[in-house]
Amino acid sequence: MRLEKCWFCSSTVYPGHGIQFVRNDAKIFRFCRSKCHKNFKMKRNPRKVKWTKAYRRLHGKDMTQDSTFEFERKRNRPERYDRNLAENTLKAIKKIDKIRVAREERHHKLRMKGKKAKEQKEAAIELEQGIHLVKAPSVLAQDQSLTLPKIKVKVQAQAEENQAMEE
Amino acid sequence: MAASLASKWSRVILVGRSLLGGLGNNLSGLSSTSHEMASGNFLSQQQRTFIQMRTVLKVVDNSGAKTVMCIQPLKGRKVARLGDTIVASVKEAMPTGKVKKGQVVHAVVVRAAMQHGRFDGSEVRFDDNAVVLVNKAGEPTGTRVFGPVPHELRRKKHVSILTLAEHLA
Repeated sequence: MRLEKCWFCSSTVYPGHGIQFVRNDAKIFRFCRSKCHKNFKMKRNPRKVKWTKAYRRLHGKDMTQDSTFEFERKRNRPERYDRNLAENTLKAIKKIDKIRVAREERHHKLRMKGKKAKEQKEAAIELEQGIHLVKAPSVLAQDQSLTLPKIKVKVQAQAEENQAMEE
Repeated sequence: MAASLASKWSRVILVGRSLLGGLGNNLSGLSSTSHEMASGNFLSQQQRTFIQMRTVLKVVDNSGAKTVMCIQPLKGRKVARLGDTIVASVKEAMPTGKVKKGQVVHAVVVRAAMQHGRFDGSEVRFDDNAVVLVNKAGEPTGTRVFGPVPHELRRKKHVSILTLAEHLA
């Protein structure tokens, strides 16, 4: 039994899943599900399709080089079954997974660093520019801090008219 | 029962193809790709099926034949799949070869575009329908086999073809 990698999305293909396509030059393409298979038939390049691991690695969204990946290299020599070895391997797999997940989280955090500050700065600018969309003009008129100071013109009749319209 | 199954399959294929034809047209209308790309898109969504009477197959050995048309799947079957033997008529042949055009031969299907289920639950499919000419006893007529060949032949006792193969899929 062997866990293969899907050619398109790089997820693991477990036994009993997926389709294997053998091209006439004897190159084998394994797919985890029909979604990947159909994308392949459409001749899409996985490096350009956003949800694949190939794209994410290429564009620096996921970490590429790490020592935890060395443990998952393909080995073609079958090992003689040894219970102790199997037990230790299973324990090691769990630990390596934990470490790998922690490192991926760190990578993600590093990637997203500075995003919050940037978002807040952008929000402040937007608030300043678009305050008229949020507050009603009557409130803006009452709360003097939100508007520019108005220059008062001494025309008695006009002032009375404005008050009537507001009510 | 098998005949009705085959007819049901053909109906499914016809329906599928008409549906896909509609979809293909929509795709070509929406996408901004070239005409070739759009037609390639439509063609790649084909429903691949069995090898039956009138199926033209490629010959991948050096027996002299180039293409062959299936006349009858053997062993009383209605349709042939990967690893089955068929009776075929040679349609195209090299002028210098062991077989001539119009000859009726036996052949073993070594590559099928239809997916074939394996015992571990996975499925394999090849790029084309290919065949190796064989005599009535099951021994290959040619001395070389080109292209990849599946493991399924071992089960069908076509070990002689496997030994001649260059790649084993």
